[in-house]
Amino acid sequence: MNEYKILFTGTMGAGKTTAIGSVSETPPIVTDVANTDASVAKERTTVGLDFGQFTLDNGDRVRLFGTPGQGRFDFLWKILAKNALGLIILTDNSRPDPLADLAVYLDGFAEDLATLPCVIGVGRRDSHPVPSLDDYAAVLAQRELLVPVIDVDVRRRDDVVLLIDTLLAQLEASLYEEETP
Amino acid sequence: MTSLPESTKALALQQAQRLLFDVAGLTAVVVATADGFDVASAVQSQIEPSRIAAMASSISAISEVVSQEARLGRGKCVTIDTEAGFAVLHAVHRADVPLVINVIANEDAILGQVTYRAAQLARTLAAA
Repeated sequence: MNEYKILFTGTMGAGKTTAIGSVSETPPIVTDVANTDASVAKERTTVGLDFGQFTLDNGDRVRLFGTPGQGRFDFLWKILAKNALGLIILTDNSRPDPLADLAVYLDGFAEDLATLPCVIGVGRRDSHPVPSLDDYAAVLAQRELLVPVIDVDVRRRDDVVLLIDTLLAQLEASLYEEETP
Repeated sequence: MTSLPESTKALALQQAQRLLFDVAGLTAVVVATADGFDVASAVQSQIEPSRIAAMASSISAISEVVSQEARLGRGKCVTIDTEAGFAVLHAVHRADVPLVINVIANEDAILGQVTYRAAQLARTLAAA
């Protein structure tokens, strides 16, 4: 049985805690507190970490960690990224500039992205279709990053499983490449 | 979204400065919201209150989860003991805006004294 550590990061309010809660088989560990940031209409916000566990069909276990979204917690981003096998970045398309939000995490995790597989999950596209997934892909291409971008509703378990599966598929492909002479 | 009354912020600043002045070996006293914004601080060295505030909130939230998991009741205080001093984080259980007091001390400070004074300040700010 293999164990994987996957890290969820992204904008405050994009649904990192919800995503982990959607798929975790054990009650998720949540470190949210009352939000006092008036610029974001949100009751509570994660200030430590989220944690959940998920078992794949083949019995492999995935440990899911979530970071706080705000940049003032970037010291935790580095701690939580240690030993992670992949990164899922969630964005919220209803925010004023989701592509700028994405850039914060592409910069914040630049060192990790050089070696780790990544998936971008774009939320609230039903009500806010712009920027399009192609716009996201263009931003990633400018940085020479080949990263899948997926339309998700993290309240739906299947959508979160799709994010995890997409990440693991990249991981398996990279392992295959390493093994192939 | 509730914000901290200005009178409480003023009291927190006055008390932070007093604590830093009163107790030998303290290098910083930062009062932060539970979500990591500094609301009052008194610092002696090149410590950045906003960074301390964010870290205090993370540590406090993680320790709260540990105390819940272990059924130890509501978290009150965390001590980080180091080679060159220590940091004490004390929760302030306010109904409107929960706070965290973070006191950073060098090796000249006495842990018991700092813990006592941090708890005293927590009670003062909880009642303000």
